Amino acid sequence: MNLSILARASILSSTLTSRTLNRTIPHRPISSSSLSYTPTSPNPKTPLFLRPPIFTATLTDLKKFQTWAQTLASSVGSSFTESDNGPCSEILHRELNWLIQDSVQTPDILSLNSDSKTDAVVKLRAELGDLYLLWKQRIEERRPFQYVVGCEHWRDLVLSVEEGVLIPRPETELMVDLVEGVVKERVGLKRGLWVDLGTGSGAIGIGIGRVLGDEGRVVAVDVSPVAVQVALFNVRRYGLEDKVSVKQGSWFEPLSGLEGQISGLVSNPPYIPSGHISGLQAEVGRHEPILALDGGEDGMSDLLHLCNGAASMLEPGGFFAFETNGEDQCRFLVDHMESVHNNSFCDLKIVPDFAGVQRFVTGFRS
Amino acid sequence: MSSIIFRRSYRTSSSILSRYQSFSTLFQSSSDLQSTNKQQNHVSGLESLSKNASGFGSVLNKRLNFSCGSCLINTLPFSSQAAVATSDGLTVDDIVANQWAILDESESDWKSHASAVAQSIRLIKKRLQWTQLKVRLEMLSFQMEKPDLWDDPVHAGRISREHGSLMGKMKEVNGLEQELIDHIDMIKLAHEENDPDLESESVKALLRMRQSVKEKELEALLAGEHDSCSCYIEVQAGAGGTESMDWAGMVMQMYKMWAQRHGYGVTVVDEMRGEIAGIKRATLKVDGEYAYGYAKAEVGAHRLVRISPFDSAKRRHTSFAAVAVTPILGDASHHVQINEADLRIERYRSGGAGGQHANVTDSAVRITHIPTGITASCQNERSQHQNKASAMAVLQSRLDQQEMARQAQMNAQYTQSLTDNSWGNQIRSYVLHPYRMVKDLRTNYEVSDPDSVLEGEIDDFILSFLTDSMDKENDEA
Ligand SMILES: C[S@@+](CC[C@H](N)C(=O)[O-])C[C@H]1O[C@@H](n2cnc3c(N)ncnc32)[C@H](O)[C@@H]1O
Repeated sequence: MNLSILARASILSSTLTSRTLNRTIPHRPISSSSLSYTPTSPNPKTPLFLRPPIFTATLTDLKKFQTWAQTLASSVGSSFTESDNGPCSEILHRELNWLIQDSVQTPDILSLNSDSKTDAVVKLRAELGDLYLLWKQRIEERRPFQYVVGCEHWRDLVLSVEEGVLIPRPETELMVDLVEGVVKERVGLKRGLWVDLGTGSGAIGIGIGRVLGDEGRVVAVDVSPVAVQVALFNVRRYGLEDKVSVKQGSWFEPLSGLEGQISGLVSNPPYIPSGHISGLQAEVGRHEPILALDGGEDGMSDLLHLCNGAASMLEPGGFFAFETNGEDQCRFLVDHMESVHNNSFCDLKIVPDFAGVQRFVTGFRS
Repeated sequence: MSSIIFRRSYRTSSSILSRYQSFSTLFQSSSDLQSTNKQQNHVSGLESLSKNASGFGSVLNKRLNFSCGSCLINTLPFSSQAAVATSDGLTVDDIVANQWAILDESESDWKSHASAVAQSIRLIKKRLQWTQLKVRLEMLSFQMEKPDLWDDPVHAGRISREHGSLMGKMKEVNGLEQELIDHIDMIKLAHEENDPDLESESVKALLRMRQSVKEKELEALLAGEHDSCSCYIEVQAGAGGTESMDWAGMVMQMYKMWAQRHGYGVTVVDEMRGEIAGIKRATLKVDGEYAYGYAKAEVGAHRLVRISPFDSAKRRHTSFAAVAVTPILGDASHHVQINEADLRIERYRSGGAGGQHANVTDSAVRITHIPTGITASCQNERSQHQNKASAMAVLQSRLDQQEMARQAQMNAQYTQSLTDNSWGNQIRSYVLHPYRMVKDLRTNYEVSDPDSVLEGEIDDFILSFLTDSMDKENDEA
């Protein structure tokens, strides 16, 4: 590795640490501060795969990088898995292929074993030196792969993500299926107003925006300015500006005046019990925003807040779906709804994810 | 009068010219063919004469005043069932029966060309199971006439599609016969008229037909209902641990390279690696025309004999890898209906609390079709949603294939390969030690360079098998 690469490496890792430090200051505004403005500040980063292929490298050098990165990935073995359920080598190898796919204009050139054209020039979307750096961050700092490439493939979408916004989880994809199922049966809901509270990258909001009818609208809310920026970027990329509006603010705050008029409310709020945060998988605990994860002592603070709000915001017959930490939280929520809000909700259901974990609570406003 | 006759006689010839252009459509879907035919009918002879600036056309142009008493015979629509014949009564069957010597293409002997073309046509007919095809077509035509046919639109759709497709094949072959006859007429005519220019032009045209019809022989090998589909190739390691997993990996690699050579799209949908080397099993998706038609020849067990690099005692090992191939039916109406409620969808290789707790890039999904127990999985995509979609597609094709196998048992006219158990059916042997050879046990075709074969040069194996099995099967019929 040459000096310029090293220099860049130190700059990048220092910005990384400063971000990590900021993150540790607990900042949990629950329906407190009124921050309802649409920020115009920092532009979200363009995901690697969308950047122009303005850099070049010879095929030989690219192959050298590949071999080096493969060796690094192999050296991990199952050590991450054993320490905190992190990725094993096999998964890292696959990620490396994806990194190459996202950063090389013609990635197939590496899989064809034509040794003949070694000095062929390959076009890249990042400097080769940066690829070394990115892969080092992936392995040595456990920087999540999705932050490395700046995107997450989620359902049939490719969403931009960056530090400061939660990487949408595969489990959460099912929220959109739940909504799709409901609007198929209750067509009226298709034309209504939906809200995605704590939208993060905009994943759920965009997902349901695409299953609603022409008249259906979504308001996606988040308190984090970075999340709002990233969500806006993603909404625009899918041409949904007219359908999905992104608002900054705390939970129901940007929705005042809409009481009793919401057709559907979906949310994947922070639900990890505070005590679990320190033991999280490195990719999550060291790199993802705590604001998106920490759900208070029992992880239920935000869920309960949302549940109470749903009772007043939803129109009669309106639908809600919440993602939870698992069976205990699901049961607790259902209990709470049945006892505290008796007669407010009906058709309460607990729905498992594909791993068999009781993950979602759904129901309707009576 | 003479110009009218010319126009009519020209019409046949012009259809030859346009058929040259439409050759690539041979044996393809009926709708393509119908539009091609329509186009031929709409273009008037003179119009297309000016468009077709080929030698053939311009020579004809010179002979505007030529009169020809026999030309009317040639104006029979080429889809007609009546045997076509030259002005002096020669039919394609006669040409075959005459057994004129087939010389090298470079010999400018029209009889040799004609004989070669006639042989090719005969072979194509055989490969298309001509007699059966005609019977089936008659039966389908009969069903198409029924007034209540469209009461069941799905059934009706199937009938009319198959009818269209068989009709297309029939027309194309009849067209080839007509074309051969036309060429011969033209040559004889030119000869009688003492026009050496026209004669040599016409012989050249016949030679071009000889070359193109040769390709059609190959295409006729792939005229099966699903042959033009994309497909999945699945490879599974036999017993024997690392050595056979390594072998299964080599076989998979062979197909990847084969598919790449053909310009097919290649994706690994599902892969379970061996702990030390190779794969336990893998599913490869091969996208492109005729992928299934070719790859179906690979179904069965592949045997490897070599000194195992994983055996410290350097002993010789024999291992097996089983290959299964399923077509990806393009036409949704062929699909078996899958009931959502019959599916169990599981995320696998997931542990721990999941959700916000975990950062994963692995979202492998396995789908089980509960009534049949058939499963499919995918972990190669970047989202769970896409993994699920890919696994569903694999499941669909497996269920479709099972259904085809069931129907094949009822129809008994399908090829065996669909129902054969891959393990019980050893098809090819790859020996790296003590000698070097790859031999197909079905055709006895062999080569002495295993490396090239393992690098994906398997077309000759495939073609010899297809030729062999087709021609044998149809001889029996
Ligand atoms: C677990 S993340 C979910 C993100 C996204 N919906 C997803 O599923 O990928 C929770 C989100 O809630 C947001 N959040 C936390 N506190 C909030 C508040 N008081 N009001 C609005 N959003 C909040 C976080 O910024 C974060 O984006």
